[in-house]
This record gives sequence, C-alpha cells and structure tokens, in this order.
Amino acid sequence: MTASQSFDSTFILCELAGTTYAIRSQAVRQMEMVEQITPVPNAPDFVEGVVFSRGQVVPAISLRRRFGFEPRPHDLKSRLIVISHANRIVGLLVDGAREFISISEEQQQDPPEALAAMSGRYLQAIARVNERLILILDLEAVLNFSASLDEAV
Amino acid sequence: MSGTSSDLPFAEFIDDYFAECDEHLTLARQCLLALEGSVGNPHLDANVVNDLFRSFHSIKGLSAMVGVREAESLAHQMESYLSALRRLRITLTKTGFETLLKGVAALEQVIAARQEYAAPPSIEAISARLGELLRSEISPAAPSASAPHQAERPIDSASKSPDALPNKRRQWTIVFSPSREASARGLNVNTVRERLKHVGEVISATPSVGTDGKISFRFVLASDEHESTFDEWRQDGLAVSLAEGLTAPAAVPQEGRHEINEAAREVSPSRLMPSNVVRVDLERLDELMRLVGDLVVSRSRLQQELERVGGSGGRHESRALDEINHAMERQLRDLREGLMRVRLVPIGEIFARMHFVVRDLIGDQGKQASLLIRGETTEIDKFLVERMMDPLLHLVRNAISHGLETPDERRAAGKPPAGRLELRASANGETIQIELEDDGRGIDRNTVLRRAREAGLVPATIVALDDASLLDVLCSPGFSTRDEADRASGRGVGMAVVRSTVEELGGTILLETEPGMGTRFSIQLPLTLAIADSLIVEVAGQLYAVPQVAVREVLKLQPADLTTMENNELIRHRDTVLPLVRLSELFGKPMRRDGAFHALVVGFGLSGLAIGVERVVGLREIVVRALNDPLIRVPGISGATELGDGRVVLILDTAQLVRTFCRRSASSERNDSGMQRPRTIGTSASS
Repeated sequence: MTASQSFDSTFILCELAGTTYAIRSQAVRQMEMVEQITPVPNAPDFVEGVVFSRGQVVPAISLRRRFGFEPRPHDLKSRLIVISHANRIVGLLVDGAREFISISEEQQQDPPEALAAMSGRYLQAIARVNERLILILDLEAVLNFSASLDEAV
Repeated sequence: MSGTSSDLPFAEFIDDYFAECDEHLTLARQCLLALEGSVGNPHLDANVVNDLFRSFHSIKGLSAMVGVREAESLAHQMESYLSALRRLRITLTKTGFETLLKGVAALEQVIAARQEYAAPPSIEAISARLGELLRSEISPAAPSASAPHQAERPIDSASKSPDALPNKRRQWTIVFSPSREASARGLNVNTVRERLKHVGEVISATPSVGTDGKISFRFVLASDEHESTFDEWRQDGLAVSLAEGLTAPAAVPQEGRHEINEAAREVSPSRLMPSNVVRVDLERLDELMRLVGDLVVSRSRLQQELERVGGSGGRHESRALDEINHAMERQLRDLREGLMRVRLVPIGEIFARMHFVVRDLIGDQGKQASLLIRGETTEIDKFLVERMMDPLLHLVRNAISHGLETPDERRAAGKPPAGRLELRASANGETIQIELEDDGRGIDRNTVLRRAREAGLVPATIVALDDASLLDVLCSPGFSTRDEADRASGRGVGMAVVRSTVEELGGTILLETEPGMGTRFSIQLPLTLAIADSLIVEVAGQLYAVPQVAVREVLKLQPADLTTMENNELIRHRDTVLPLVRLSELFGKPMRRDGAFHALVVGFGLSGLAIGVERVVGLREIVVRALNDPLIRVPGISGATELGDGRVVLILDTAQLVRTFCRRSASSERNDSGMQRPRTIGTSASS
C-alpha cells in the first residue's frame, strides 16, 4: 500500500509508554475503545487475543509487549487501532490515540542508530513537529512476525 | 490462434460454458460406464446411447458458441460415431468403447485447458483414432440405404422420431439469428421459442456459429399448421422451411464440416437445462448463509436480553415474548436448513469418476477389480464435495496400488482373482459418512511400525500398532510405505493431506484393517460448514466451543473417579481406560483439582482421550468464522464464533488437540523412556 506522496503525509498519533508514535492514516481502518479481548492460548505473547472488527476476527497486538515495554491494564484512554496492511487486518493496542496530523516530507528524517535498542527496528522515520518528537511506525516491520513466531514456537 | 482469442463472441458466458460442459461430461461418463457392459452386445440400451449423444451434441454446440474448436471437433466426431452406431445398429466394439473413453478424457482436457487459459492439448491422435473408427467400423458394413425406420421404436419421450409423429404433422426448420434490432422488437431466443410452442412442438433447438462468427439458433418444430402461418414470421426475419425428407435446411451454417444430418433429427438435443432449474453462484449462497448466520446471532442476543429483563416485566408479557422468541428460533432453524439443502449436491458426481480411476489403474498394474458404489444419491455440501475429490482419489489409488493383490496372489490366497472395492456414502443426521473398503491384503502393521521407528515417528517402546495409531503413522508427513512414490499414489497428495483436508472440513477419518481380509477407511463429515451445533465449555474462566460432531460423550467426573499413574491421570470409561487431559493445562493454566468437572470423550482407539473442562455450559448453534491471520492460527483452535455479546469465542479443534497431546507424550516417552500412556499395547517387556 505505498500510495502517492500527497497521502503519505497524514498520520494518526498514538501514545505508548510516554512516547508519541505515528501510523499512516491510510492504513487505519478504524479506532475503537478497548473492550473484550479473548485470549488465544499458545499464541505469541504479544498477541493479547482476538476481537471482532466488522465481522472479522482479528488479532489484537499489544504494542507495549511488541516493543518490550511493561504491559499495563487497559483503561478508558486505551485504544485499539485496526490497520489493514499487505492483505492483513490487525489491531494494535496503544495507551491512547487522539490526534490526526500532517507531517511533511521535510519534517521526516531517518531514525537515529541509538534508538535501535527498543522500538527502533519498528521505525520508518522520526519527525519533529512543533518541538514534539514523533516516531513514525514501519508497519511492515511491526507486522512481520516470522522472526517472532519462530521464537514463540 | 486456436479459439482462445479474447474477442470471442459470448465471452461473457464462458463461466456458464464451463459449468454446463462439466454437467454434460459428468453425464457422458455415467453413460459410458453404463455402456461398458454392452460392449460386444448387439442390443445397446437406446436410452443410454441417446443420452450420450445429447451430451456430445450439447458440448459441440456450446463449444462452437464460445469458440473452443478442439472440443467442438471432438464432440462432433463422437456424436457422429454414436449416431451411426444407433442408425446402423452396429455392435459397440471394445475398440469403439475405449476410443470413446479416451475421447471423453481428451474433451475434458481441452475444456480444462481453456478454463486455465492454457494452450489446448493436441487432439490429433485421438481425433485420428475417432476418424479411423468411423471409417473402419461404419462405412464398409453399412447398408447402402438407411435401416428402415418403422422398426425403430420411439427412443424416449423427449425425442420423437419423424415417423412417430401424426401423419398430418410436418416438420419445420426455423432459423433465428439474434440481432440487436430483433431484440429491440422483442424478438429473442426465448420469445421465439414461446411462439413456436404455440403452434406446435419444439423437437430441438440447436445453437450454431456461422462462418462469419454470428450465432444462430435452429429450431425443429413439429406442427400441423398451414404454411401461411409462418408468413408473418418470415417478415420478422426468421428463416422458415419445411424439413421433410433428408434435405437439410440450407440456412444452417455448418462450417463446411461433414455432418451426419440424421443426427440432429433422430434425437433432439435436450435443452441444456430444464427450465425450472436455476444455476446460482456458490458465493451468493455463502453470502445468504452469512446473513442467516447474523440472524442466528441476533436472535441469541435477543434471547439473552429477554432472560435479563425476564424478572422485571409482567409474567404474562414475558411469556408472550418467550413464545415469539422460540418461534423465531424454530423458523431460523428451518431457514438455515432450507438454505443448506440448496447447497447440497449428490456425492455420486465424484463417485462416478472413481470408476475411471479404477479402470485406468488396474489396466496399468495388471490387476483386476470391480468398484461397487452405494449411496451415490447421498447429498453433501457442494463445497465439501469439491474439497473431498482429491482425498478420495488418493484413497482409491492407494487401495488399488497397495491394497489389492495381483490376480495370481489372490488365487493363491483363495480369493476370487478380481478384487472388490466398495465406495459407500450415507447421511446420518448432521453428518455424512463416506467409506472406502477393499478386500485386499490389508495393511502390514509390522512393516509400517518398522519404518515408523526408523523415521523416529514412534518411540521404541511401542511394539504394536492398533488401527488408530496405524492411521496416525500413515498420516504423518513424510511417511511412505514405498521407497519411491509410484505413479499411482505419488501425486503429492499423501495420507497426511487426506487427513488434514478431512479435518479442515471439520470431519474425522478412521481406519480398520485386517491382514489378508482388507482395509476400510471411514470418513465422517459435517453436512455443511457454516453453522454447527457446538458444546459451549468453560476452561480457565474462558468459554470455548467444541463442535458436537467431534464429541462422542460428555462425562461428569469427581476427583475420586481418577487414577493417577506416573504423572498421568486416567479415567475408567466403559470397558477401557482413557487418559485425561485437562484443557486448561494444555493452555498453560492451572485447573482446580477439587470438585466435580466435565470431560469430553473424543477420538477412537489409542487416540481416544478425555478432555477435561471446568464445565459444559450448554449446546448452541454457532456461526463459524475463520481465523485468517497467521498470528492467531494456533494448534488446537479451528475458528471463532460469537454468542451474542460481541465477545469472540474460540472453536476447539479436538482432533488436533488429541494429536498434539499424543505427540507430546510420545516425545517425552522417547526422552525418559517411561510409560506415559499405559494402554500402548503390550509394551513393558522392553529394555
């Protein structure tokens, strides 16, 4: 889903462990309050479970666990961001999400090496908007589970 | 370019073309099998010959319409041969029969190639054989004048030979070429047909494509109307001519082919489908099924709400609501069953093909066998039937290649030289049973066991295999009883795929085998997929659904009913002992050890198992939804459903759970060589 440049610049911002991440808005199907998630036995640990989204059963992924942060219980601010990427539909659990912003090409730059330790390998770029630092997620990397699945099995 | 260009006329009908050809090919195969017994017999069953003729005739017409020339030409040759057979009363020879068989196979390949946009296979060889057949068997022996017609009885009600018609009646040929302006005047094939029906009897309707690529329909009409009746028709652009005698109407374009004109007149090609039959895309039915599924969920939601408010409302009102709710439940069930019935097709469709497989294989392998088919009218979901085709083929191939002995071996064993295969289907409530039985040599357990040991598939402590574990071994990926996959059974569809297909479809497969007596595979399948009756069980505080088909029995157990043996819990059940697996522990959660709980008995024989759950909540009708994402496709979970509260409930795949468990215990046995499963036959003499 690499679309034209003009679309590339709108993002949904979400909060995770005190950091602001951005997800390309074209990939986002919908955002929901976090309700009942059904745990799936023997699934990888970052898969918190499954939920219904428009009649489909989709996995709900804890981005906290995916990125190696401490898990914490969901609250009223927690959101499930359902994204559609490379023919898959997956829900990402975040601490909160509200904003929708544009980030121009010039505001984006490659992620610094130093970030590689934590969520760094899931980042496509970082951006500075009005003195805020925003990490732009690389959905391909977030959804590429083959490595993690091998570990889990 | 051989008719595969994209500017075909009627390209939009191509899907219908494949579907109709498929039906006609199926019919043709059935006819051929029926004719096989008449080879060399001067009295052919006229009805069968006519049906076969019609199938070829229809395929010819249809193929001409969509421009599949090879199919058209093959069908034409076979049609000509049949027509001559019948007309001249020639005995069907073995060569003739075999050539027809090969011809049908070639026809199928040509049409399949077209469907896959592949280059059409060469039909030269078969075409030459058919031509040779026509020359050698038909021409010399044929009396110069046609056999007298009066001796021929009317072949069947649908086909009226000209002589059977009342004297005053005359046959007319009406040719209609559809065009845009004709259709603007309300003239199309159907209105023409209707018109014809008013003045007489339509004996046949044949589509054909002229040299200019335009299509026309030729109707043969029996009518006692005077010629003037048709004047008005001629003004409408219809070509009407009297079709008495042998004069073929010149208006019909025949593309310069030699046509046996008698053919079209002796037998009316049946209309392609009876007019009261509708062909529906399976996807549309799936969509309807999904909608009914949504209704089922909404109704159970309604029921829950009713139960919740039940206490507060007046008694009278709530009773009325309850009654409506229950009426809806029944109606929904009826609706669902009705819709399910629409999707059902007779399993005979795929059974009939097995005859050909058997014929081909026994020829190649120097064996003799007869295939008996029972219950071919048993109906099964269209989707299931298609998915079962390859597994059944594999089982039949296996039965012939590995199961049946050569005639000499059979004689030596005191059996008749020809082996017997029996393919049976039967419906049993919500399930379908398919069985394949042979009277061959049976499966050699010792050989299987030895090879399984060599492959590390079973621990060394196991010294014998019962039927269930034998099947487990045979279905292990990578297991083969022959070093080299032979031509027949080695088409990449191993027993592993057979079993996984059956299980994906929510079914089970069983094996029984007796040395020297034969082997039987029994497959149980649900009648349909989308909605299933399921037990709702609670495990570690979470609800799961278990398809009822998979559960043999539900037991209520007390801690006192359990025996613990080397870290394994066992229960006595009937006259056997079953290992108990607590589901919560399989899912990595502890389960309370005090108090009563439920157990579901699943699997058979050595694979028999009691699955412990906290409790069985009830029996519900659930709508099965697939788990598509690889992240959530975990062993033991086959799908998901909802019970009305918006929460996902996972569906357990008990067969897979049983196997996971067995594998675990097998591998731990290998590690500590302890006896995890005491029922393993006759073990402890080891080491």
